[in-house]
Amino acid sequence: MIRNNRMKRFTIVSAVVAAGAMVLSTLPAQAADPGVTATEIKLGVSTPLTGSAGLAYGKVPGAMKAYFDYINANGGVNGRKIKLVVRDDKYLPTLAATQTTNLILKDNVFALVGALGTATHSKAYTAASLASKNVPDLFVNTGFSGFGNISKYPTTFTVLPSYAMEAKIMSKFIKENYAGQAVALVAQDDEFGVDGVNGFKAGALAITKTTLYPQSSITEATAKALLTGLSAIPGKPVIVLFGTTDVTATILKAAESLDLVSKFTWIAGSVGGDANTLLALKVKSTTIDGVLAASFFPDAKDTTDEYVSQFMTINTKYNKDVTFDNIVLQGMNSAMLTVQALRAAGKNLTRTGLINAIQDKGANFASAALVPLNYSPTSHVGYNGYWFGQLNAKGELKPFGGKLSVFTTDSTAGAIEASTFKRPAMPKNGIPTNS
Amino acid sequence: MKNLKLKKGLVALTSAALISVFAVAVPSAARAAEPTCTTVNNVEICTGTDGNGSKYEIRMPEKFNGMMFLYSHGIRNQVLLPKIPVVNPDGAYSVPRSAPEVAPGRTAADQEIIAQTLLKQGYALAGAGVQVNGWSVPEAIEANLHLIVKAKDLYPKINKVVSWGDSLGGHISQSLSEQYGIIDAAANLHLAGSAANQYSYANDVLWMYKTLFDPTIKGNGYTQPVSASDTRGYMELIGDITKLLTVLNALSTAIKTNPTAPAWPETATNVPDSLKIIPVRSAILLIGLLAGMPTQSTTYDSASGPAGPLETTFGLAISPALAILENTSTALALGVIGNYDAEMRCGGSIFDNTATDYSARLGDNGDIYAAALSGKSATAGMLAFLSRLNPAAPRVAASAASVACINNQAAYTGKITVPTITVSQTADQITPAGYVQKLKNQYEAAISNGDAKPGLLLNIWNKPPDSYTEFAATGAAVTPTVPTTGTSHYMYTNAQILVIAKLLASAGKSGKLPSVATAKSALKNDPSMFIDSAYKPELMPQDK
Repeated sequence: MIRNNRMKRFTIVSAVVAAGAMVLSTLPAQAADPGVTATEIKLGVSTPLTGSAGLAYGKVPGAMKAYFDYINANGGVNGRKIKLVVRDDKYLPTLAATQTTNLILKDNVFALVGALGTATHSKAYTAASLASKNVPDLFVNTGFSGFGNISKYPTTFTVLPSYAMEAKIMSKFIKENYAGQAVALVAQDDEFGVDGVNGFKAGALAITKTTLYPQSSITEATAKALLTGLSAIPGKPVIVLFGTTDVTATILKAAESLDLVSKFTWIAGSVGGDANTLLALKVKSTTIDGVLAASFFPDAKDTTDEYVSQFMTINTKYNKDVTFDNIVLQGMNSAMLTVQALRAAGKNLTRTGLINAIQDKGANFASAALVPLNYSPTSHVGYNGYWFGQLNAKGELKPFGGKLSVFTTDSTAGAIEASTFKRPAMPKNGIPTNS
Repeated sequence: MKNLKLKKGLVALTSAALISVFAVAVPSAARAAEPTCTTVNNVEICTGTDGNGSKYEIRMPEKFNGMMFLYSHGIRNQVLLPKIPVVNPDGAYSVPRSAPEVAPGRTAADQEIIAQTLLKQGYALAGAGVQVNGWSVPEAIEANLHLIVKAKDLYPKINKVVSWGDSLGGHISQSLSEQYGIIDAAANLHLAGSAANQYSYANDVLWMYKTLFDPTIKGNGYTQPVSASDTRGYMELIGDITKLLTVLNALSTAIKTNPTAPAWPETATNVPDSLKIIPVRSAILLIGLLAGMPTQSTTYDSASGPAGPLETTFGLAISPALAILENTSTALALGVIGNYDAEMRCGGSIFDNTATDYSARLGDNGDIYAAALSGKSATAGMLAFLSRLNPAAPRVAASAASVACINNQAAYTGKITVPTITVSQTADQITPAGYVQKLKNQYEAAISNGDAKPGLLLNIWNKPPDSYTEFAATGAAVTPTVPTTGTSHYMYTNAQILVIAKLLASAGKSGKLPSVATAKSALKNDPSMFIDSAYKPELMPQDK
């Protein structure tokens, strides 16, 4: 009897709820997503600010914030100021999961922008339920090609070219310019390195010796042992350093100590080749002089570039006492992409609207990169190409052979092609006006 | 017990009808003694023993509001142990436990505080001390049914019964509320999974410890006794506990001695030297990841490191392994003893990993923990050693009858028809969060099939602080005296339990689940609790 009564009550309640749902379903979609008010858009980033990765990449959020402050000072986006909430994850997966969850549940951010790291962000993405909450996950700072998998990461947009793309293009570069020299690859033994190894395979580069090391395992002693072993390779081998900047620095300093700098031709991958950071980590400028590196941006010291020049101006005013370098350039560029994405999503800002806006219009966003963006309804992949240059003692990256040659490709078996991409002009005063 | 068979067909009966069935059936069982009742501070306390030998207790306040809280306690060891360091240091597992408990709490004193608080609010309380310990879900459900009948018989003014329980008690409470239509609302604290899955989880850990660290550990297939005095199987169990403690101690010492490159224990005689180049902490972590154990424990947060050169490396590569090691140590008693008990109950080995592909279980964790696992190459080497194809890592085959026995243990199925609340830790090593996710999945499937009503399940989560590992000046991590919130299967605080009780009572009274806003408001000052319907902990690998 009790149960029968309860069932009856439930049936009535269900009918009321169902009727309510029918009414609601006829109303237009409401801009009820968290983190957006009439005057503010709250964005979040979990990224290393401290620890060894923080030293190298900790300038990203400050650069993004500086650009947002600049935009805010010029009216914001559709009348809304952008607020960036920054949480330090120390480049640790568990802490990244915690901090990203905090951004969503405690800080109530509307979207994430510029999360850094593959292990960190892949754990955070699941832990914070970003997919089921439909949280836009913009311009992640990792080249792991897996983040381009829309079915697994439906709200994520990559920005960096993938490690596989980089390795493929690097393979072409080495084969064309260093034929006959043995090649040794030193890469992180995780998805970063594996992506690279797969790219070198796809690029059909013959590698004499591959050394894979776990993240955080390279010390001065292990670096010296590694180089001593590689020095036995006859001739002047090409050493490809496919790791983070702190490891590049440790290995280059070990080479200095062993007097082996000139024994090798050095190529640093884009992740580990920022000259300013290498110099800050006490690598000698004479060691850096001549190191080959890949980039998809103009050199951060090239003041003739309109993007670099504008971002430098913003950095001077809004990011005081922070040296402008490739990391700052990357941060500001992602912030500018974000502003364009928010504008493209319109005044009635929703998470779905933002995702759709990038898919539909993101390929045409203005950006500093010398390679195209590839966003579409079927692709969340950002940039897809690289150019090669040589660092000088000042840390400037100059096009190899004096001529800028940009190549594009994909993360799998696609061709490596000379790019015909024409970069959009910098918006006036660095303030996007797109819609 | 067996003369009172409760069939699932009873579900169709109304509660009134069910009670009448019991009213008729109980006298035919072994004669239950009439309860003994005394009144203390305006509360009548009635204790007794039902026809199956389960003890019970009912507390009825003078100013009764019509609702009774029925509490199911967690698992108790059926197998008695001698005093053993770590596992049974104080002899708590050396004596049979059969006393009923009427409320949850960290300690007996806390349980009494909860009980007194609820009694003052006008609620009656009841609980059974089941006659059989170990994984005794059917017996506990039956004891609870007897208890409800007895309570309503003694106090006809009881018009609402809400059920709550913790750990295995949560499992019992959930099963009871789904199957008999006599519970008005349920709240289940760190809900246990099914018997098959819980024991597979424990056995996965045991098998990998045996395979990697000490092949002389028996682990499964303990000798079944042929007489009451036959202690061969029991002595095998005690031997295993001793060996496991030796291994755990060796692993702990190795990490203390050399955190970055700890050596393998001397007992790891099966493992080739080529594998022992890998720091043993990576093997510890791999075991945890493959079994589904959380990478946070009461001491280790998988993030913090001692100040100094190891700070980042510790959080990245060492802390997750230490968390798994600590979780393994604290789950040891349940895993080993529970498995032995289950074997005795089911007449043979209940674990079968002849077809288990451990490599496939690693998934994204292979990338996420690549550094802590010492890289992909090292991980591949360890997985190859654990492969079915490796004769040095023989798999375990179960007896079909024993597997059927464990699979047939009563279990909830997600057919939820009354307001139901779960409260679980995100980093519980004994009843991992994946079990709640499984219940959620079962519930969604039941809704789709028309076997459950929507909007009746609220999941509340208890999480650790953002970072919490404390380090002494020596750099050693300090184990907290009170278990860290969100970890280690610890009982919730009294304040948290009382909030849950309030929500449960509200649900029982109204027949509706408290709204998320109401529940959040009730929890608003507690940073360790959260409600997020989108939170989706990973299913346990044994459930995938």
